[in-house]
Amino acid sequence: MVQFNQEHREIALKVVYYGPALSGKTTNLQALFQKIDPKVRGRLMTLDTKDDRTLFFDMMPVFFRTAGGVKVKLKLYTVPGQVMHESTRRIVLQGADGVAFVADGRRSEQAGTLAYWNNMLKNLEANGLDPKVLPMVIQANKKDLPDPRDDDMADLRTTTVKPLVVPAVAIRGEGVVETLHILLTLIYRNLDRAVGLERNWNLSEREFLQQIFSHMDLRGTRLPPPLAIPEAPR
Amino acid sequence: MTLRPSVLQQVLSLGDLLDVRSFTEVCQSFAELYRVGLKVFDAAGNKLVDVKVGNADFCGYIWQKPDGRAQCIATVGRVKNDAVPEEGKPARFECFSGCRYVVQTVLYEGDALGRVVFGPFVPDDLTQLPASLTAISADFDARLAQGYMQKIRRVPQPTADKIVKHFAEILDVLVFSGHKNLVTARLHIEAVQESYRELQEKNRALEESFGKLKELDRLKSNFLATMSHELRTPLTSVIGYSEMMLEGLGGPLTPEQREYLGIIMEKGESLLQLITSILDITKIEAGRIRLVMSDVDVGQLMKDAVATVMPHARKKGITLVCDPGDLPRVQCDREKMRQCLINLVNNAVKFTPQNGTITVGADPRGDRMALFVQDTGIGISEENQKKIFETFYQVDGSSTREYGGAGLGLAIVKSFVEAHHGEVRVASRPSEGATFTVVLPVRHAAPAPVPGRPAAPSAASLPQ
Repeated sequence: MVQFNQEHREIALKVVYYGPALSGKTTNLQALFQKIDPKVRGRLMTLDTKDDRTLFFDMMPVFFRTAGGVKVKLKLYTVPGQVMHESTRRIVLQGADGVAFVADGRRSEQAGTLAYWNNMLKNLEANGLDPKVLPMVIQANKKDLPDPRDDDMADLRTTTVKPLVVPAVAIRGEGVVETLHILLTLIYRNLDRAVGLERNWNLSEREFLQQIFSHMDLRGTRLPPPLAIPEAPR
Repeated sequence: MTLRPSVLQQVLSLGDLLDVRSFTEVCQSFAELYRVGLKVFDAAGNKLVDVKVGNADFCGYIWQKPDGRAQCIATVGRVKNDAVPEEGKPARFECFSGCRYVVQTVLYEGDALGRVVFGPFVPDDLTQLPASLTAISADFDARLAQGYMQKIRRVPQPTADKIVKHFAEILDVLVFSGHKNLVTARLHIEAVQESYRELQEKNRALEESFGKLKELDRLKSNFLATMSHELRTPLTSVIGYSEMMLEGLGGPLTPEQREYLGIIMEKGESLLQLITSILDITKIEAGRIRLVMSDVDVGQLMKDAVATVMPHARKKGITLVCDPGDLPRVQCDREKMRQCLINLVNNAVKFTPQNGTITVGADPRGDRMALFVQDTGIGISEENQKKIFETFYQVDGSSTREYGGAGLGLAIVKSFVEAHHGEVRVASRPSEGATFTVVLPVRHAAPAPVPGRPAAPSAASLPQ
């Protein structure tokens, strides 16, 4: 959960990239690592990699100071996709402020994707996180490959949990920034409702997003105007 | 269920992220290389490393003067606690003695984790001892102090800035790899703990459902036993009265009535046999079998069993051979062993075609006795040999199967024999007949009243 430190004027947020093995979670973080100005991000910490697969998880911090003097720290994590790391997934998910579910958007992966989605819902619950309220976005990755799904991830989205779906080709960096942008917008609104970021921290949605995305290489990215992002269903 | 807070959720201090002992070594060699002292503080002001180079005599002399001591403490306090910018050039701190410190914030992931203090060094533009130093006491010996100051390195300011910047970069790498190691190690432990907790939960759930299943199984056995008993009582009357009528106790019968009553009797008998088998197996499963042990002439027992089945075999045109010869007496439950033999011979008759032969024999082997029933029947495939002793198992389970039966005979044999600490085996190949062998200890060791759970079958080591 978000950590506020009134004394040091700090806000720490946690974003988790969840999804099946080889769906492209690490690729998302690597693409962001390339795009974000090194001045506002730390190193990409990748734990225990072997044969290009994340056996544990990745972590990358992004940080900035607002005009009002508030330090905002954003930590991006991926969970390990391999089935055996169930407990690590649960631990990494602890205290998440928002989740990007990275799905392999091919029809052949549909069943596995659904299983991981349900697994995530279970692990969210185990962490006391309510998927109906938690900001979430689904990334339909690998849109460039043959056999794509055209159902807009209908099997994952129910009437109560209905995240936006962002198409992506993470390996080419497409859709990666858009995914984060939508998720951070939702996270901001969620926190603003809960603690009044604008009122108490003098931090507007515009500035929050501006501080992050103005330090990003946005070539080839089309960010929607904030108002185009619908409110999550309550 | 809530998880324990993970290391990922904790705020880590510089000391957590570094192996302070090996870091101290790095600092020492760094300080020796540049011949300037080095201190590292964490964000809370705790001193992690303090390496002094060259300034011991100079500072020691000043420290002897009360005024010098007080000012020295004040300077060190400023260096340690005064705010320094997080980014950009390192901050400078001038000592009243004319020396200088440069201080660089240790910035990691946007957080100030502490500071590196480089110094004291002598700025290369210092020409003489400042008045702030010479005035600390009336007896201050400037020449002596000057001499001591020679031992402290002179450093141009841009060089000092570069050195401390360079050190901060090294420290950043050390902190990153320290952080990575810490997270890896701690998260491995957390993952193991979490998996263990999950396993324990699952085990508890499994144990619970296992207990429930055991209870259900007991209830089922009870139910079957009661039901079988309730069925048997009226059936005995059906058979008994039919018999009485056949004997003419109810008056004379026409040939048709006689035939019909014969069928009622015969079917009644086979139904009774089936119910008895069910009763046996439920008793076995409920663990209620008690053995009544005595010294038994197994040769006679075999002859009895063969005699019982003989009419049936004869009707099918099967030759039954039984020549046990002289056999030692075996300590066992006569009734149960008789039933075992009857079941085995009955089975053999059932699966042996016309003109076949069934041989019933015995083979004493020291303290064990092997009884066998060999037939020339249809045989059993290897895959099915393991299953035929299971309750209700039929090799041909289809509704149109050729051979009748409830699938209880062999299960009963197995349970009874194992209750005797014995063992039953089958050797067969499809269409080449089968041989069932029961191996019993000649002397019964101890009561084993819990069938269904095989006792250690030491007969396994016997030569075939």
